[in-house]
Amino acid sequence: MVPPTAVAEFRGAGKLYSNGRGQAGTWAVRDVDLRIEAGQVYGLLGPNRAGKTTLVKLLLSLCRPSAGAVFRFDRPAEVSRTLARVGYVHEAPTFPRDLTASGLLKYYGALSLVPGAVLRRRIPALLDRVGLVDRTREPIGGYSKGMTQRLGLAQALINEPDLLVLDEPTEGLDLAGRQLVRELVVEQRERGGTVLLISHALGEVEALCDRVAVLVEGRKVYDGPLSDLSAASGGTEPPEAPRSLEHALGDLYRSKAR
Amino acid sequence: MSGGDRLRVVAWLVRDTFRQSLESRVFWLMLGISALAILTCLSVGVQGAASLHRPDERPDFLPRTATGTDRAKAPRDGVDIASGTLTLAFGAFQVPLHRDARDAVHFIQLVLAAGAADTAGLLLALVWTAGFLPAFLAPGAVTVLLAKPVPRGLLLLGKVLGVVLFVAFQGALFFLGTWGALGLRTGVWDPSYLWGLPLLIVQFAVFYGASALIAANRRRTVACLLGALLVWFLCWGMNYGRHAVVALPELNREVAPVSPWLRGAVELGYWVLPKPADLSLILQHAIDADRQFAAVPEFETVVRLRRFHPVLSVASSLAAACLLLLAAARRFEATDY
Repeated sequence: MVPPTAVAEFRGAGKLYSNGRGQAGTWAVRDVDLRIEAGQVYGLLGPNRAGKTTLVKLLLSLCRPSAGAVFRFDRPAEVSRTLARVGYVHEAPTFPRDLTASGLLKYYGALSLVPGAVLRRRIPALLDRVGLVDRTREPIGGYSKGMTQRLGLAQALINEPDLLVLDEPTEGLDLAGRQLVRELVVEQRERGGTVLLISHALGEVEALCDRVAVLVEGRKVYDGPLSDLSAASGGTEPPEAPRSLEHALGDLYRSKAR
Repeated sequence: MSGGDRLRVVAWLVRDTFRQSLESRVFWLMLGISALAILTCLSVGVQGAASLHRPDERPDFLPRTATGTDRAKAPRDGVDIASGTLTLAFGAFQVPLHRDARDAVHFIQLVLAAGAADTAGLLLALVWTAGFLPAFLAPGAVTVLLAKPVPRGLLLLGKVLGVVLFVAFQGALFFLGTWGALGLRTGVWDPSYLWGLPLLIVQFAVFYGASALIAANRRRTVACLLGALLVWFLCWGMNYGRHAVVALPELNREVAPVSPWLRGAVELGYWVLPKPADLSLILQHAIDADRQFAAVPEFETVVRLRRFHPVLSVASSLAAACLLLLAAARRFEATDY
């Protein structure tokens, strides 16, 4: 049997940030082994400063690992061409304020190496999908935070990615926006794509993710299905009592924090 | 990434730079200055503009470069007294014209090319575009772009090319506009003036390379601005210093000779660094500035001693710019976001 393709893989990956004076500082991520297979919706959980965003940055080559290795689509992460198969939603995207939504998507689509003819067809459909079709002539500078976030989603989908990386995608979104994110994740899974989702919204994680990895203080403390998280968290309640994901995670964070 | 993809990405980065120039209003600022210069040239008039010389007559001041044939053609010395008028601001100001029209227009072109564009224009362009790269490389703005399948080096070089093309566009408007305006008003169409444009672009590209390296390291507009100006002054000083070291024994034989060690160090510095003074000297030769102003003695001497090589000067300045850009690209590739 052919093993499933690894869309993303971390092998002993670590990132050490210097303290700004050229001296070694702190490990944001340390000794992380993680394999994300095609077709999964993978959640990345952890308290603040656990190293979730750093792990995503390593995957996208926004920073280089200080230890170990990172792979995208079975190739070293330094190979930039595999990024053509990735879409990335930043937690707080900054776009040129004077561009219009369609102007931005043309620009980012070109940088995603999507042919011009495809862009002409895809951009109106995408803007319609994220609810910005009526605001295409307006400069982005006039957009609300939620609208900017929707545009961030559209630019991530411009290349119909095989891997969609969502870093706090619902931050600043209203209920309709949150629903949109959920729908987009489901659509991505249905067409065989993979999603890596960082979120503090546990309801979202529960509803969407097949597997989760939990990071605490830069180390991976759990990697598996959500259903097994309670057992792994070492809670004090009897096993037969159902515990919420929030409680299970809270127990896990406390038990693994040094 | 195919060659076609690279070209398309670079074209978009160039386009984005023009957008950035419009957003920051630098586009309109530079266009306004060009428009002012063009308007000034349109306001110029020359009365009594007929040539002061008969065809068989020797010009009043033969340029130093005049050949023996030119001198032989002049059967007698002496000039007529000029009695024309140069008017500025559509006749508001009148200046007695003690030279012929061609010479007067040449003087104005010299001031525009060597003074306004090549010195003040270059420094202003460096100042006004200093913020382009830091804004592009700011973490919030560039993070999403870095997650696209474009090598970082190409992103940076495309953006630098965009800035250089933007300045080239503005420079072309300035030079072609003022040249055309002066030509229309005076009937003098001296194409040598247009040499100012490529030399301005080369000078700007060289020093913007330094700005790019600083941007890749610090991502601060003020650092880029001050750094590029500092590099320009440093290079100008090294360039002038080298020519002074070469010329001084000729100009003043009583001066103690420079030690061989210092001479070698100066020569090395001269060849390694960009050469803004040489580029100005090339421009002055191209537009025949010697007709109006006395040459700097040190520069005149290195030319006479055949220690000035224009082609090598331009080539080594461009090579220095390429090295600066490569260093900037490498630094950007190694930067964590």
